Amino acid sequence: MSSSSSSSSSPPCPKKMITLKSSDGETFEIEEIAALQSKTLENMIDENCASTPIPLPNVKGKILAKVVEFCTKHAEAGADAETLRAWDAEFVGVEHAIVFDYILAANFLEIPTLLDLACESVAEMIKGKTPDEIRKFFNINNAFSPEEEEDVRRQNQWAFE
Amino acid sequence: MATDDPPSHNWLDLPREIATTILLKLGAVEILTTAQRVCTSWRSICADPAMWRSIDMRNTGDLSGMDHDLVAMCRHAVDRSHGGCVDINIEYFGTDELLKYTTDRCNHIRRLRLVCCNNISDEGLCEAATKLPLLEVLELSYCSFSKEALETIGQCCPLLKSFKLNSQGYRYTHMECDDEAQAIAKNMHGLRHLQLFGNKMTNEGLKAILDSCPHLEHLDLRRCFNVNIGGNLGKRCTEQIKDLRRPYDPTDDYEFDATIHDEESFDDDYPSGFSDIDFSDYDNYYEFSDYDDYSVYGFLYD
Repeated sequence: MSSSSSSSSSPPCPKKMITLKSSDGETFEIEEIAALQSKTLENMIDENCASTPIPLPNVKGKILAKVVEFCTKHAEAGADAETLRAWDAEFVGVEHAIVFDYILAANFLEIPTLLDLACESVAEMIKGKTPDEIRKFFNINNAFSPEEEEDVRRQNQWAFE
Repeated sequence: MATDDPPSHNWLDLPREIATTILLKLGAVEILTTAQRVCTSWRSICADPAMWRSIDMRNTGDLSGMDHDLVAMCRHAVDRSHGGCVDINIEYFGTDELLKYTTDRCNHIRRLRLVCCNNISDEGLCEAATKLPLLEVLELSYCSFSKEALETIGQCCPLLKSFKLNSQGYRYTHMECDDEAQAIAKNMHGLRHLQLFGNKMTNEGLKAILDSCPHLEHLDLRRCFNVNIGGNLGKRCTEQIKDLRRPYDPTDDYEFDATIHDEESFDDDYPSGFSDIDFSDYDNYYEFSDYDDYSVYGFLYD
């Protein structure tokens, strides 16, 4: 870890805290060690930009709170894999609109564990559904022309008609 | 981006790489039968060769109840990769022709997984091996390839770092056989991971492997009931191997059905209920317990 010659006037803390500021102005404190799970934040910390609240204009307070929770949990020492897996499952056991926000936040902050977890949970939502059910679930418009539909059907040489 | 937010998240606004990551987790069958029919955006992603660097043909194993010809589907997936496939998983189906089709077109395959591929012959596998010089990760589970095939693979694939050869566990001690262990010992010196669940090898086979595979760090000997890890051999294992699974260790994190068979015959019958095996653990494919070093799988993140 880089030894930061920070000009901060506060006495050195055993657990160095970083402050994050969401798009809607909320601030959150996070231990530096937890923040390092985000490559974006890690870069900023390395370059010593981390002495003032770090503004994160792409992340709402509601989501940033959860991201901080995730990173803190994953930075805990001695967590056993099974417990963590269960915790993760609960973390993403939310409505897909929120998982969508997790994905965007994890992408922006470059947190590979969170990104993969969120993507996996979305894949689980898709599995086993028909195209129509998927469209309804994710509110996606089907913009296929009849020709494109026919195209796909023709490509399906593997289907036993 | 911060409009006064209607709660409608447009999933099509996700960056393309992320949408690709998500769809990849569906496996090739669902990508082809479902995902590409949802909308033009997903269709375009599914047509991109990048999507097919990894072809995961996982399925329920219930081939008679299936609406699709998996062999034809897999060929189609290989076509879509435009030769760029580096990782392919085939389970419950698979023929010599399909293997040849794949290895003829894709010259950079680094990971191959064959599970329950009864219709792939030794000759087919050996011929494919000659076109897999970059192979690093190989799994041949619940297949019945000969020791000669294993020897050929070892000789053709000098970069092999991970090998899984899993079989049904049998408890009859007169069914001892070190052929596979010897083939591995003689021909796969670069191994770091070895999983031989349910193998019939004895201590001799184990010694041969320990002698010949100096880089071995992960060794899974669960259900190898002819191996007796006590005394000096056990000590040697503990010293040499970072992550050792012993014959009687728990099998709850084993991805297949760990049922032990006590029958005399060990020709290629598969237990009933085999198709009930939960393959949803494919994501654990890379996971050996406590294995942290994913550098050997770096090729997937190129």
